[in-house]
Amino acid sequence: MSGSVIKVVIGPQHPALKEPERFILEIEGEQVVRVTPRIGYVHRGIEKAMENRTYLQNLYLAERICGICSHAHTTCYAQAVENLMNVEAPPRAKYLRTIIAELERIHSHLLWLGIVAHEVGFDTFFMYVWRDREIIMDLLEELSGNRVNYAMNAIGGVRRDINGDKALKILKGLEVIEEEIKKYIPMIQREQTILKRTVGVGYLNSVDAVRYNVVGPMARASGVKRDVRRDDPYAAYDELTFNIVTRNEGDCFSRIMVRVEETLESINIIREALSKLPSGDIRVKVRLAIPPAEAVSRVEAPRGELIHYARSDGSDKPARYKVRAPTLANLTALCNILTGVYLADVPVILAGIDPCFSCMDRMQIIDLEKREKKFWTLEDLRRYAREWYQKH
Amino acid sequence: MLTEEEIITSLKNRFGGKIYNVVIAKDRRVFVEADRSIIREALSYMKNSLGFDHLSTITGLDSGRELELVYHIVRENSLVVSLKTKISKTDPRIDSVSDVYIVAELYEREVYDILGVKFEGHPNLSRLILPEDWPEDLHPLRKDVTLEQITLRIDWSRVEDK
Repeated sequence: MSGSVIKVVIGPQHPALKEPERFILEIEGEQVVRVTPRIGYVHRGIEKAMENRTYLQNLYLAERICGICSHAHTTCYAQAVENLMNVEAPPRAKYLRTIIAELERIHSHLLWLGIVAHEVGFDTFFMYVWRDREIIMDLLEELSGNRVNYAMNAIGGVRRDINGDKALKILKGLEVIEEEIKKYIPMIQREQTILKRTVGVGYLNSVDAVRYNVVGPMARASGVKRDVRRDDPYAAYDELTFNIVTRNEGDCFSRIMVRVEETLESINIIREALSKLPSGDIRVKVRLAIPPAEAVSRVEAPRGELIHYARSDGSDKPARYKVRAPTLANLTALCNILTGVYLADVPVILAGIDPCFSCMDRMQIIDLEKREKKFWTLEDLRRYAREWYQKH
Repeated sequence: MLTEEEIITSLKNRFGGKIYNVVIAKDRRVFVEADRSIIREALSYMKNSLGFDHLSTITGLDSGRELELVYHIVRENSLVVSLKTKISKTDPRIDSVSDVYIVAELYEREVYDILGVKFEGHPNLSRLILPEDWPEDLHPLRKDVTLEQITLRIDWSRVEDK
């Protein structure tokens, strides 16, 4: 059969969405038989850059690792540096970090939900979700001054407080968004456009999810109850009550449901954090004289476990700073899931892990027998997928 | 629930003097150094007998005279042991652990990319994040490689041609 294997190259260009990435899919008929990922298109050498900058400068660099979950990275970074120095952020700062983190999770999950709706050809829903996401973006801007890259974290605490007036605005916004999300849930569960494309698609069982060290909503959608917020608590999570949403189906549909239900949990976490917000300083003054030490810091970013490792040598710059973001952790499992699926299911499965490289704009199809090359755009692949589903 | 101390005790009972420099930095954060000859065995033991089923990542670093690898493994998504080992800088080789943790396959490729460590027994030790035409002997995270050198070594004319 090897003569009929065709290589389909997806990526790496991406004018519309987040990050570039390339997958080489070998297909036999309609079925994917082998997947080779090629990453690194947005490798900016940040770890090397961090070794050449001071601890303070690196806080701003950490903010720029990711445009979606920048707060997760600065929280992780601040915690790591605080660890090296053996200081702790004051309780109020920990609560404020938690509030921003959960707002970030809501906006990230909603952004993703819109993308998935678009992938399956349900653009009305995409518009609804992104409209509502603006409520959160406005809140983040109100609280931090920025829609993205909020720069809320400082080493030793946070930069801005949330006073009574702002707290009221948050509660008001949450009320609206909660009502909207509660409307979405039955819509998602009943809408054939979504169900036909996601139920049973991209299956990953719980044993494999553990074996492939899968993280975040992807693991929880396969029934693996893991969440750094509960298991390895940081910020104020050990003082707040929340459910860890899991589902057992392990398909794209359960990945949607887990994330949607998580946004409702996030809303409640923010409400509880606001009601319990301790008084006191939002920041401890630190002298950035850091002794030789090492630290591991973990955060539950919207996409799953984020881990930073720092080593100091007594100078004002880190000897080594290592970042591992959740998408890389899920890449091995993703390639495994893609093996054996239909080509038409690839876009929705790729989107299903909420990759931080979500888009594949150009496809190159190489027919090994004829040595022909064809170029497809991501739109072509989407159209192909939608038409395929109309026929089958 | 195994405590940090119990884990250290089991490791020491099993591997004796090849486990050293133990630091319990804080709750759920343990740093241990191990001889490079036992790394694969130690990780396999910790995964199969002590419940460390999750490899978060592998950090590679240049500590001056040597290279160091740090395997961050997690038990019950909570307790993180960072198992460290030193390897020679002139001939950096170590056993691959991709048969113990499947995800190590990617993380080892990253370390190979940035520091030039050869993981023996790795099924496909190829570039992961650097471009294919990156100079073979330029390992960007080595301390003797400066940002200026990296800029000089990259063939910009080829980039501009494209």
